[in-house]
Amino acid sequence: MPIMEQGYQHWSGRLSGHSWRWLAITRHGVRIQLRNRFLRYVLFAAWTPALLLVGMLSIWGLLERKSNLVATFVEFMRFMNPNVIADPRYYRVEIWRLSYGYFMHVELFFSMILILLVGPGLISQDLRVNALPLYFSRPLRRVDYFLGKLGVISFFLGMVTILPTLIAYLFGLLFSLNLHVAVQTFGILVGTLLYGLIICLSAGTLMLALSALSRNSRYVALFWLGLWFVSSVISSVLAGVHHEEIRHAYFYNRPPAQIGAANPQGVATEPGDRMTSGLPQDGMANARQYWRNFQLQRLRDSQTDWRPMVSYTANLLRIGAHLLGTNQAWEKLAKLEPDTWRRERLLTRYAGPRYPWYWSAAVLAGLFGLSLCVLKWSIRSLDRLK
Amino acid sequence: MSGPDVPVLFELAGVTKTYGSVTALDNLSIRVPPGATGLLGPNGSGKTTMIRTLLGLIRPDKGGGTVFGMDILRRQLDIRRQIGFSPEDECLFPGVQGIEFVAYAGELVGMPSTDAMQRAHEVLDYAGLGEVRYRKVESYSSGMKQRLKLAAAIVHDPKLLILDEPTNGMDPAGREDMLRLACDLANNKGMSVLFSSHLLPDVEAVCGHIVVLAGGRLLVQGGIRELKQAHAGSFELRLKSEDEDFARRISGLGCDVQIRGDMLLVKIPPGQTAALLWRQAAEANYQIRHLRPQRSTLEEVFLKAVEQT
Amino acid sequence: MCSQMVNTVAGSAEVKPIVAFHDASKWYGNVIGINKLTLRIMPGITGLLGPNGAGKSTLLQMATGQLRPSQGKVEVLGQRVWNNPPLNQRIGLCPEQDALYEWMTGKDFVATCARLAGWSRPDAARKADDTLEAVGMTRHKSRPVRGYSKGMRQRTKLAQALVNDPDVLFLDEPMTGTDPVARRDLMDIVQQLAAQGKSVVVSSHVLYEVQALTPNIILLNRGRLLAQGHIRQIRDLMDQHPHHIVLVSNNCRALAAELFTHPDVDGIRLIPKDSSLVVETRLPDAFYARLPQLAAQGDWTIDEVYSQDDNLDAVFHYLVNS
Repeated sequence: MPIMEQGYQHWSGRLSGHSWRWLAITRHGVRIQLRNRFLRYVLFAAWTPALLLVGMLSIWGLLERKSNLVATFVEFMRFMNPNVIADPRYYRVEIWRLSYGYFMHVELFFSMILILLVGPGLISQDLRVNALPLYFSRPLRRVDYFLGKLGVISFFLGMVTILPTLIAYLFGLLFSLNLHVAVQTFGILVGTLLYGLIICLSAGTLMLALSALSRNSRYVALFWLGLWFVSSVISSVLAGVHHEEIRHAYFYNRPPAQIGAANPQGVATEPGDRMTSGLPQDGMANARQYWRNFQLQRLRDSQTDWRPMVSYTANLLRIGAHLLGTNQAWEKLAKLEPDTWRRERLLTRYAGPRYPWYWSAAVLAGLFGLSLCVLKWSIRSLDRLK
Repeated sequence: MSGPDVPVLFELAGVTKTYGSVTALDNLSIRVPPGATGLLGPNGSGKTTMIRTLLGLIRPDKGGGTVFGMDILRRQLDIRRQIGFSPEDECLFPGVQGIEFVAYAGELVGMPSTDAMQRAHEVLDYAGLGEVRYRKVESYSSGMKQRLKLAAAIVHDPKLLILDEPTNGMDPAGREDMLRLACDLANNKGMSVLFSSHLLPDVEAVCGHIVVLAGGRLLVQGGIRELKQAHAGSFELRLKSEDEDFARRISGLGCDVQIRGDMLLVKIPPGQTAALLWRQAAEANYQIRHLRPQRSTLEEVFLKAVEQT
Repeated sequence: MCSQMVNTVAGSAEVKPIVAFHDASKWYGNVIGINKLTLRIMPGITGLLGPNGAGKSTLLQMATGQLRPSQGKVEVLGQRVWNNPPLNQRIGLCPEQDALYEWMTGKDFVATCARLAGWSRPDAARKADDTLEAVGMTRHKSRPVRGYSKGMRQRTKLAQALVNDPDVLFLDEPMTGTDPVARRDLMDIVQQLAAQGKSVVVSSHVLYEVQALTPNIILLNRGRLLAQGHIRQIRDLMDQHPHHIVLVSNNCRALAAELFTHPDVDGIRLIPKDSSLVVETRLPDAFYARLPQLAAQGDWTIDEVYSQDDNLDAVFHYLVNS
């Protein structure tokens, strides 16, 4: 035909199956977000801890093989107990757990920042320009829509939590050249991946729910910041008040005779106790002992202290700690300390809150359910009158 | 319009849908052939609910139906693959250029992304937005947004195009263009069009067949030409100058004359033709500038149908 | 495009214009809304037409005193309208935007507008009832506005415009989104208002609606006045555009052959499927004068005759696109 049809032409291609619809939404969302230069910088910055993690695991691998390359790095590891460095294989699992633990702690922070950058506009802008009739008049269900939007958030979170995890694991394996390592540390990998997934699901659905409540993405961003910071602040304030109450009760309400007497709970001083051995049994030593007993009691109380759960990120950290087993790692490392009191002190300083993990799990599950309800309520299906 | 060999675009049988105390659709049974059909009805007549039922977005309380032969209760997603819908209210995808908008609309239906982009370019040219395709959609004027919605609705080459008030807010030139596109798609390109509008001349320009709903029920259905019956022996007449003398002349010959504005409505006695009027005009030296058999306008058909309820 | 502006307003000195623009211009920064507009709108119903961006909204806003002309004068009912609150009491505006107070009932809304116009509380309530009755909303006036259909909202807007019993009423796209029933009602209301002696200026995109209301139009394009007056007179003056007249006959070809023998016919197109022919002529008067004899001539019948471009669409199309 010499002259071709210029107007409308028909199209006869194949349409993909119904289960991949969410992928189109995710791809589109990610493409739009990646245009934001600031976001790209943040992503870049979020990979620095990943490099440090890779570095740490590689060094430990080299240390295990007693390689010469590692001699320079040993200087930097003076902060660790020399017993640990002396026997790297015994402490391998613990060091891996703790490295991953610190890594995920930092990446949780970056995740919250990324969600702040990526999340608020996802549903709120669609509500503002009324995109929903366009979506739902196409072969997609509400579930596909939510999954697609969640996919956008999960992509970015996965880039900073899951991807570096896998890569660091591979490097750690490579540098230790020992498949037995894989067997021992496989649980850590699974735990970290699960942790990353939980962050995606929990924080992702929470952000989507917030985004669905307002048409202005700035309010959503402010609300997210509020949720993050304000809840942490409230949690610290509550914890501080609680601490003061206990201290007040312990020290100012006891009759004077008891100050200096042995703690009825009977924590005996140990022979090797540098603090009290060799000192006369006078009021000063007793006061110190009293103070130490108070600390111990407080540390045990903290196992049932619910106040840290008020902060949203603390809940995620608690779950993470459980999945990665960082508390057990610290307990093993704490055994190197000479007495109970110093062990507990080390644990408090480094191991984080010790209330049961399933409390945090319940809080996160509750928030997840609430988010789903909010999403279902605010993105009403078109099965309605107006 | 019965029998299994008559092609059917969509069909609803006994569909009822109530929301609380409001009955949106009341035992609606309708069968529409392929081609361009106008969907008319006063506000609150259930047009929007019917369109959503066809799209499978609403589950009827009672009754069912088929679209392209597929059950609306079971195969909603498959049905939506073959329908393109341009909604009435302002709708956009945020933060994209025109070309990305249409390509995304295609990808959401399941088109591969290269096909979607290529089709998007074609369809934007066709809809007259070729020059502005790289601008952000938020910067489009309302006429351009209507065309954009049309483009997004046809990007996946659907069998049925549902247009809900497509000329809303467009100036006369834009309206002409939009109607021309709808006409072209319906008549030359083999796409069925369901045109829902309050502007009856628009519907007349595009469709040959109309459906009138009111109170959730079907009032009238049929071809426009058949519905607009000519009144035998009645003519609309306009002369060059408004003059009562001519009216008196012809009523003296047995014609029934009514004056409406600058038009005369003349009913000639049985057995006569329009030649009578010409003869009188020739004798009395009048210029007849407008002479047409009186046909009810679509508006009259509609108002009469609605008033009967 | 006609070389001179088409203006067929019969300038009778006794009839004063209700709205007068004297060389008025308005620009927003670099963007010009109205460009040296001189216009006199006579009493009665007048249609205001123009493509998008022609300056219709600017014109309406200047005529209601919302915008100050950058240059020139705008007068309504003989007085300058800018910064003239007492004059605003005689002007009613039914705006295009759909921003009503959603939580109020219809009656509350109109009563509030009346109070804003200066009526006391009992008077405002009474006025609200009266105007709502005039627009046919008495049945629904106690329902909140958020539940109203589009037609009801338009009527409510019209009611608040009437609350001062104005002499001049400006309606901006009064019938968008309304169904044909409501449209018919609104047109009846406008015609009743005109019959009561009020002047109405209706701005719309929907040409056939304006045509049904009034034959007097004002056509704007790109901020300038393009044409003003009675549609048919404007059409008659557009002599560069040939008229297209349709004849339906049982013997088109013979009729066409006969018509060609006359010099005023420029061209004929046959449409066999309608058994009609479309005649192009620049001298319609001469053509029509010949028709009755032609019809009686015998070899053919002329069943119908009408002009294809005797309507607003065609006039608009020609004027705007040239």
